[in-house]
Amino acid sequence: MSRLLVLPFAAPLLTAALLLAVPRRRTAHRLAGLAVTAAVLVLAVALLVVTRDGTVPVERIGGWHPLVAIGFAADAFSALMVTVCAVVVLACLATTAASGDDHDPLFVPLVLVLSAGAYGAFLTADLFNLFVLVEVMLVPSYALAALGGGATRLGAARVYVAMNLLASTILLAGVGLVYGVTGTVQFGDLAAAARTSPTVAVAAGVVLLALAVKSAVVPWHDWLPRTYPEAPPVVLALFSGLLTKVGLYALIRVYAVVYDGDPAYHGVIAAAALLSMVVGVFGALGEATMRRVLTFHMVSQIGYVLLGLALFTAASLAAAVFYLVQYILVKTALFLCAAAVHAGHRTDRLDRLSGLSTAQPVLALAFAGAALSLAGLPPFSGFVAKFLLIRAVGDAGQWVAVTVAVGVSLLTLASMLKIWGGAFWGEPPAPDEVAATRVPARTVLPALTLAVVSLLLGPVAQPLLGLADTAAAGLLDPDAYLRAVSGR
Amino acid sequence: MILAAVLVWQVVLAACVPLLSRRLGRDAGYPLAAGFLLTAGLLLLPLPVVLADRTVTADWRWLPSLDVSAALRMDALALVFALLVLGVGALILTYCPRYLGREASHTRTYLLLTLFATAMLGLVLANDLLVLFVFWELTSVLSFVLIGQGRPAAGPPAVRALLVTSGGGLALLAAVVVLTLELGTSDLGRILAEPERLKGGPAWAAGALVLVAAFTKSAQVPFHFWLPGAMVAITPVSAYLHAATMVKAGIYLLMRFSTLFGGQPAWKQTLLVVGLLTAVLGAFLALRQYDLKALLAYSTVSQLGLIVGVVGVGTPASDAAAILYTVAHALFKATLFMLVGIIDHEAGSRDIRRLSGLHRIMPATAVFTALAAATMAGLPPTIGFVGKEAIFEALTEAHHPRWTAPLAAGLGVLASVLTFAYAARLVHGVFTGPLRQQGLRPPPLAFVAPAAVAAVLATALGPAVTLLSPLVERAANDARPQGDPPYLAFWHGFTPALGLSALTVGLGTLLFVFRARADRLLRRLPTSTPFAVWFEAGRARLLRLGALVARPARAAGPATFLLRPVLAVPLLAVVAAVGLGPLPPPVGDATRPGDAVLLVLLVVTLAGLVTVRSALGAVGLTGTVGLLLSVWFVTAGAPDVALTLMLVEVLTTIVVMLVLRRRPPRLPPGGAPRALLAGAVLAGATGLAAAAGTAALTGRRDLSAPGGFLLAEAAPITGGSNVVNTILVEFRALDTLGESVVLAVVALGLVSLSDRVARAGRETPAGPADPVLVFAHRLLAPVMLVVSGLLFVRGHEEIGGGFIGALLAGTAVGLGHLAYAGSPAPLLGRLRTRPLLVAGLLLCLGVGLAALPLGRPLLTLGKVGLPGGAALPFSTSLLFDLGVYLIVLGLIVAAVRRLDVPTRPAATGERR
Amino acid sequence: MSAAVAVGVLVAAAVHLLLQRGQLRVILGFVLLGHAVNVLLLSAGGLDRRAPAFDGAGAEVADPLPQAFALTAIVISFGITLYLLGLLSADGPTGGGEKETGDGPSATAGGEGETGGGPSATERGAGGGER
Repeated sequence: MSRLLVLPFAAPLLTAALLLAVPRRRTAHRLAGLAVTAAVLVLAVALLVVTRDGTVPVERIGGWHPLVAIGFAADAFSALMVTVCAVVVLACLATTAASGDDHDPLFVPLVLVLSAGAYGAFLTADLFNLFVLVEVMLVPSYALAALGGGATRLGAARVYVAMNLLASTILLAGVGLVYGVTGTVQFGDLAAAARTSPTVAVAAGVVLLALAVKSAVVPWHDWLPRTYPEAPPVVLALFSGLLTKVGLYALIRVYAVVYDGDPAYHGVIAAAALLSMVVGVFGALGEATMRRVLTFHMVSQIGYVLLGLALFTAASLAAAVFYLVQYILVKTALFLCAAAVHAGHRTDRLDRLSGLSTAQPVLALAFAGAALSLAGLPPFSGFVAKFLLIRAVGDAGQWVAVTVAVGVSLLTLASMLKIWGGAFWGEPPAPDEVAATRVPARTVLPALTLAVVSLLLGPVAQPLLGLADTAAAGLLDPDAYLRAVSGR
Repeated sequence: MILAAVLVWQVVLAACVPLLSRRLGRDAGYPLAAGFLLTAGLLLLPLPVVLADRTVTADWRWLPSLDVSAALRMDALALVFALLVLGVGALILTYCPRYLGREASHTRTYLLLTLFATAMLGLVLANDLLVLFVFWELTSVLSFVLIGQGRPAAGPPAVRALLVTSGGGLALLAAVVVLTLELGTSDLGRILAEPERLKGGPAWAAGALVLVAAFTKSAQVPFHFWLPGAMVAITPVSAYLHAATMVKAGIYLLMRFSTLFGGQPAWKQTLLVVGLLTAVLGAFLALRQYDLKALLAYSTVSQLGLIVGVVGVGTPASDAAAILYTVAHALFKATLFMLVGIIDHEAGSRDIRRLSGLHRIMPATAVFTALAAATMAGLPPTIGFVGKEAIFEALTEAHHPRWTAPLAAGLGVLASVLTFAYAARLVHGVFTGPLRQQGLRPPPLAFVAPAAVAAVLATALGPAVTLLSPLVERAANDARPQGDPPYLAFWHGFTPALGLSALTVGLGTLLFVFRARADRLLRRLPTSTPFAVWFEAGRARLLRLGALVARPARAAGPATFLLRPVLAVPLLAVVAAVGLGPLPPPVGDATRPGDAVLLVLLVVTLAGLVTVRSALGAVGLTGTVGLLLSVWFVTAGAPDVALTLMLVEVLTTIVVMLVLRRRPPRLPPGGAPRALLAGAVLAGATGLAAAAGTAALTGRRDLSAPGGFLLAEAAPITGGSNVVNTILVEFRALDTLGESVVLAVVALGLVSLSDRVARAGRETPAGPADPVLVFAHRLLAPVMLVVSGLLFVRGHEEIGGGFIGALLAGTAVGLGHLAYAGSPAPLLGRLRTRPLLVAGLLLCLGVGLAALPLGRPLLTLGKVGLPGGAALPFSTSLLFDLGVYLIVLGLIVAAVRRLDVPTRPAATGERR
Repeated sequence: MSAAVAVGVLVAAAVHLLLQRGQLRVILGFVLLGHAVNVLLLSAGGLDRRAPAFDGAGAEVADPLPQAFALTAIVISFGITLYLLGLLSADGPTGGGEKETGDGPSATAGGEGETGGGPSATERGAGGGER
């Protein structure tokens, strides 16, 4: 198994290179993109099966000595993230294949490179390599963000690139400082280093700062709602599922490995988490287009995941992992719905839309399911996630955080109702009034599928919960992971 | 088992709706009603078991990790509510076919109603807190959808209803969490079996949260305002959800948790106060309504308040009274709604001022309305009378503290008097008097039949209340096992309660008779409470606050966004400076004499850079910084880094020049003076923090373990003597692969960006060649190419490698482009980006992946043994490096060609 | 010590440029920031050892690993700088070719024309780009 660990990274890259050679073969692009992502998904599920019992397969790239080799390692957390991201990529590619948004000959190759970078970032056990793979993921996103052009989009792309470049530079400086203090960048040798040495804590603090900026944690969140909504709509769905989530994954991984969950920082993380939850949801309430509302919600949801990290108990980490996984699926579904709305109406402003529930029932169904899940209403997966988290937070005696989490849920529902009331209810506009085209149902099918998955993950939550438990155990006690990586 | 089967059967019914609806159209309600009755029959099968104080259970492990089971359990209390849900449901479904229009979206209505009944069943049968919560929220969501479907005006009330009820739902969730954590289980049966385990703060918190949940759902003051708003829904929905069943979920919850919290005096007092206040307030407001549905809605609020107040008394008799009155209310209120729906349907109005004399046209409707209204007013012989009697009886027993009883009874009587008055006004207003409308027809029999059944049942169950007695008593005991309640009977003899009933009727009659005078008094009262307005105002304020929060994210330029991460750096440094203890001493001397010279030059150059206003000057100075650093890197023992940096610097400068040719020669003003000063201060602080970080965290340890390993082993293992290069192409080839991919993608991005510009109409016209540059190109390009090749080949041993080689070749390309001003230059001028990138990527990946089939890890590079013992004449790492070379060259070709896009000559007449 | 000073002045100059108006300044600021990190990386290897790493390990031979990091970093930031330049050049005459876009820390959208981030500008721009 461990030999195949590199394939989620290498296979999409190879496919992308081959597709670049045949820029005009659209069908080949579609099929190859879907096929290789499906293959990654299969592989990721196999990884899940392998890592389910706490096994950590590891692969040293190039077969070098553990001291100098870049290691790829997978525990349940990594495997889960690879799986869910493959699902997201698959859904986005299926959507664009149905809608024809993949007409740009660079689209599929760029998406594949982006996804390869993300998978790699989930699997690598080397801090510098993490930086490189994050860049592999981000640079295609720069190109995708500008795809289609237009002054507004390019303006947003400039802010997006500048912001991520700054964060990457800070990340690199942090990696350099970590190397300066410890003389290594390999997770295995960095185990608990920051807990025992304050200098490592400072150096790794720079890394965490960079990752927080990349994850759009409050107070570094503004760039996300500024830039994301201007990206091409389907690309936005992809970004929401992958980009900030890699930052979040790395944040959790570094905190678990390098800091060993040091309780000294729980307060800071919890404060950032609660701030993110509140600021994100208020921003969402204040926005007036579907994509902007949803983008602000990303900030809020990131806060929920961080809250789980802040407590660093088995229950809270499991809740965070569960939350993260299900929320990626739900959020992608919502953004795909927004993309479908935009495709049909050339706008997603709430005051210019109405009556979608009558005009496009399938779209309405997909959106409603995902929105209820996001608001944490049963029987969707979002409810189980929220319950797990609130329970874990209550168990830790943090009743203020429980109150905030509950309140933010209600505001989340209110903002989803704002979208629903604005876009879905009411009379559909007269056909001659707006040049609205009906989006074919097959375009919405991937989003609907994700919403159904979320629905199923409510009543049948135990399999995912079991995996989240294993992942949490691996974060709480990363010994197996560290031993595998360091080869000692 | 039977419980699970019942739920499954209900889901099957829901699944059948589309089919039935397609076959039967709106008549699909009839088979569905039969299905509901079948469900009720199934639930009655274990009646003897339930009456014998045993429970029926089902269990399915839902979240074993949390010890949460999807457990169901039926005792008498659950059975009463379940029968209510199914019985009223069957009536409503029989009513629907004639109410719904032929074209209306009846499929959706039937589906949602069936699902709602299922959710209610799940709610009352749940034996796990979490399951209870799930069904609780499901009913809210389904109610939201049912209210909101159809009419545009239904949006705001539906949203209000959902926000209020799911706000209460979240309180319930919090209560569930508190209880689960405190008691270590979410099993309702186990929790209720040992109520004494819950005490202290958690008991208070959970109790308060449950109260909030119940009050929102059952429309108690101050959360009641959603219920009248919900009347925009179609009448069957109002009758079923917002009169008979969903709003009773709060009552169920209160009764269910009586065992747990009923011991707290505060719990009881809150119920009494809130309930009776709601009862009186709702009744007053009902009396003020002219819209029949609004009247019934406020009446529902009032009656629910009465029940909540009675639950607060907390005696066996009061529990029985509450249960009995819940049943009675469901019967008469559903009936009244159905009849009002018929009136609305036939006469086209629900306004009591416009309707009159309808008994001439629809006598049956009039009779049944009168019966149901009599039940509501508590007149004998109806079940309403028996229920009111029981309630008065219970209220007079409220004695905590002692003065409660008269007050409670008084409020109860007041609410009932008002109820009597509006019930009388309803019947009188609609049916008596002259018939004013023309062309009305009597409703079809099938339309009236469901209401008739319910009205007759409500009347007949009064004398026959003993039939209900065993079940109600058992249920009261289930709610609070504290002894048997008194036997329910139609006639209790001359009791104080009978007196109160008589008083109610008397006062009510007076109020009705002097209704004109009473109306004048009542007119001073508002027709609704301001809570709905406040709620909307609060929501609007929240939205405005949100807009405020969202505003910073709209700034245009990057500076606003870069500010905060930059700001974090000095803050982090300050925190670190406070927290860091003594540092280890620096190892060795990291300073060389020449450093000072370079530093001075660096500072001077940078000072020029931050003040210069010429774009070209800024670019030149930036290049100078790069060159200074390259020199310094040579002295620092990093010749590869130095050479790469220098070439990168040259190439960057060339490309910037190309881009700048069509941009203004001056940089814009940096900003307002104050902003500039603030920026300068922040820049200084950040610089200081970076310097301090570098000084504190680097240079304080010996050679690192990986570094030592590489210095000692790299050459023997790989055969390459340039250790840095062996790291790049061998030990950390994955990083190199990654950066090559980055470069390839940048090249693609540039192609994509410039394609768009080209499509926008700005074609690249070939300009005149520059003779000086052409000469330089002729002379230098061949040399550069040869050197590039050499640097590439010997990279493994000496300074060089794929990157450096390609950068040099790229410089030649750039020079050629400048010299020939866009037309293809000789030598490399016809290279194309895409083939270079494809070849490079495939080479890198191919070499890397070739190891996998051989059973070696990815990117296993080096001499490859061929079958038969021979080895390839070169290392595969050279092929890998060649791939890198091609990609870098591809990028430079893309950058040089694509970034040089002159403006249209007509645009501004700018000099090229 | 000299490395720390170099990092400090480079970062200060870079931040000063980043927070000012004008895209070119932002790009140059990032170039300087990249330089600063490279110096930092070499310093992380220990600048007391300054002999190039060819053949064998003497006490004076520099740590080769940070040099490899720096090389990778230089190349990546080179690529991204080129892309930023591409975005700058794609910004045609109508999209602010004459007028530098971007603003100081205190400025907000509004009056920024096409490049403003407000919703109305958003829709106009997005619609214009996709039609």
